[in-house]
Amino acid sequence: MNHRYPRSRNTRSVLLSLLLTLAFGLQLSTAGASNLPPEKPKLPDGVSIVSPGSELWREVRRRDGVPEYDEVNQGLLVNDLLREIKRSQQMPQGVSQVNQVDAGKLINAQGRRWAEFRMGMLATYSGIGLAAIFVIVTLFYVIRGSVPIEGGLSGNVVKRFTDYERIVHWTLAIVFLFLAITGLILLLGRPLLIPLFGKEFFGVLASASKEGHNLFGPLFLVSLIMMLISFGRRNIYEKGDLTWLLKGGGLIGKGHVSGGFFNMGEKTWYWMVILIGLVIAVSGLILVSPNFGQSRVIMELMHLVHAASAMVLIVVSVGHMYLGSIGSEGAFEGMKTGYVDINWADAHHDRWGKRCHEEDKIISAEEYARLQGQVPQTTATEQAK
Amino acid sequence: MIQQIIEGPLWYLSLAVFCIGVVWRLGSIIFASRKQDLSAPRGSAAPGAIRTVFSRFLPHREIASQITLPVVAGYMFHLGLFALLFFAAPHVIFIEEHLLGIGWTPMPHWAFIVAAQFAFFGLIVLWLRRMVSPVGRLISTLDDHVSAILTFVVMLTGCFALLEGSTGLRLLHRFTVELWLIYFPFSALMHTFTFVPSRAFTGAWFGRRGIDA
Repeated sequence: MNHRYPRSRNTRSVLLSLLLTLAFGLQLSTAGASNLPPEKPKLPDGVSIVSPGSELWREVRRRDGVPEYDEVNQGLLVNDLLREIKRSQQMPQGVSQVNQVDAGKLINAQGRRWAEFRMGMLATYSGIGLAAIFVIVTLFYVIRGSVPIEGGLSGNVVKRFTDYERIVHWTLAIVFLFLAITGLILLLGRPLLIPLFGKEFFGVLASASKEGHNLFGPLFLVSLIMMLISFGRRNIYEKGDLTWLLKGGGLIGKGHVSGGFFNMGEKTWYWMVILIGLVIAVSGLILVSPNFGQSRVIMELMHLVHAASAMVLIVVSVGHMYLGSIGSEGAFEGMKTGYVDINWADAHHDRWGKRCHEEDKIISAEEYARLQGQVPQTTATEQAK
Repeated sequence: MIQQIIEGPLWYLSLAVFCIGVVWRLGSIIFASRKQDLSAPRGSAAPGAIRTVFSRFLPHREIASQITLPVVAGYMFHLGLFALLFFAAPHVIFIEEHLLGIGWTPMPHWAFIVAAQFAFFGLIVLWLRRMVSPVGRLISTLDDHVSAILTFVVMLTGCFALLEGSTGLRLLHRFTVELWLIYFPFSALMHTFTFVPSRAFTGAWFGRRGIDA
């Protein structure tokens, strides 16, 4: 029996098929368009190829039928080699005519891990650490205030530091602060400064910071060595230092804590500066001189060591600056003028203060004024008469 | 707009102030009227002048050990700055293109960096000594501090522009240089030109009186 569809039904079927084909075709063309490589950038006049090397590579890949763009990774260039590197996290060693370290390595698989750590944990925890120390110092100042000298200032002083020692201290301080600021701009600038000032300004600032940081870096090492020579002997730990530590240096709780010329806290800070500073300086020199055969992995490792140790020093230095200035009455005078009040010496460094008394090193207020080039009031009055 | 001002009128103004100011200051010193020395000469002035110009490059033996740091820092700063100013590649190119029309072989990049580090370290130490030492504080004027800080800022902006990749940083450096040039003739920075005649004058005076100093 020969069944024939009615004419109208055939027409409907053909129309439906056409519509479906059109819809399918449209969808395919849309999907196909999303898989196409992005449009090539417009070339400047007189330039025919953006990058001859990559164009040639692309042609070879097309000839060999290697898929140029990965649908899963949304346009990232992938092939079997890259997939294998991503999977194994190892760096395949190739052969190159370039006679340099890492020249035979196509891709540094550790690089992504380093970049993620640098932009992630390192930057985040550095920012948190820095914010935390400022909060702690502020709270401490609000709660405890400036630690006063027992009996107040007497006016009589003792010499604590020579001019040379203070120059060494302030040289190191200036260089350290400059490096800390420029280093923080480089480490935290992207998340903190770009939203405030924009990418263009940050680009200029980061470039300036990087050049300044690299140039001042070796000065930090020189200052550090001068610091080691000038202050090293007096910062060797001695009997009684542990007691100071156990009593929290007198900041926590009440009661007198015995200390020598430098107390346990100052000595610990000093050795932190020297030892961590040396780590920072050496890792910085490795970073700033990449032409001594160090590989990328070593550079990345040195960068992390450099940044992490610098952050430790920066955070602790805020505490040092606080205690050396507004945190302790009379402390700043030591590094400002080289002299400290004898009552301050007795209160914070009693063993050294006792020696000053015994060796008759106390200078009267009048003599101190004369040494500082200030004419005492009485003398000025007499001269006027 | 800013670029045009910095590279145009301000540059020519600063250069004119510098040149005219320096010539005027030196002229006023050289042609200043002095009282005639009527005393009988006990020695010759010229050898004394020459000897003093060179002998002052070294500190007196009696105080050498006490001023080692400022002497070393002074040499580091001045030699570093001289090398930077006249032998840094960007400066040599600038001098050739904008000032003299001739250039010379610049120092290699590593020497440029080392010279800059010497200059920075020397200047920081010298300024700190001025601040830290009671005698240094007493004899320092506002002009001394402004001169030191302005020189430091010029060097610092130059250091920031080391990469030579940013027009903004280059202009900032050039702007600070122009401020420095304008300030130069009226400040302690003039010792760049006066130290030789000053030493020679003192040496001649000593030489004429037979003083060996």
